[in-house]
Amino acid sequence: MKDNTKLLTYITYAILLGAVSVLLNDMREFDFNQFEKFQNWAKVADKNESWFTSKNAIEWSYYVISAGIFFWRAYLIYGFSYFLSILKEVENGNFFSNKNIKYFKKIGNIFISYTVGILILRFLLAAINGSSFKFFNELKAEFTFLIPAGLAFYILAEIFEKGKQVEEENDLTI
Amino acid sequence: MPIVVNLDIMLKKRGMKSKELAEIIGITTANLSILKSGKAKAVRFSTLEAICKALDCQPSDILEYVED
Repeated sequence: MKDNTKLLTYITYAILLGAVSVLLNDMREFDFNQFEKFQNWAKVADKNESWFTSKNAIEWSYYVISAGIFFWRAYLIYGFSYFLSILKEVENGNFFSNKNIKYFKKIGNIFISYTVGILILRFLLAAINGSSFKFFNELKAEFTFLIPAGLAFYILAEIFEKGKQVEEENDLTI
Repeated sequence: MPIVVNLDIMLKKRGMKSKELAEIIGITTANLSILKSGKAKAVRFSTLEAICKALDCQPSDILEYVED
């Protein structure tokens, strides 16, 4: 059991490191100089011109939302890091602990808010680009599997809550 | 809980110490203390049988129902 937990911990570490390196690489490739360009534009912009429809403002919004997607991806990786906390609890023999229940709920929250957040950001990107946003097509994207996964973690939290009660009862059976 | 454990009374009657009883019936003194204090959620028939055998008594001598 302990060996399995160790193996799972190593796999989780590998996945986390992989996800972090992919995110950092994407951020490196992302042209953050665009923000600087916007700042320069803001200084010389014609104050009488409509702000929302100007090309620079649209471009800037596009880059802000792209940066928002980076933030959300980092948030998802943070959610994955809770797997390590759960595995640590399991390694210590605390299967049905309050901490595990709390971690399961947190992972569920993060998975669902990540998916909803990404859907909103993609909608905004589509609106800025002027491209069409088909909600059901977006739902077919691979990241939406995190909604059922998030729900599964809520269910696990409930099961562990019941498991904790049974364990307590068992401990107090003489 | 309306179920009262009168183990202390029986132990006094038989002149036996908690530690002795715990050793005879094969449970820890900590668990026996849980049973005596009424914090236990349940008692196994095997434990009850061992207690009755060790103290030469009936289950009703140990367990009593008292309405809250």
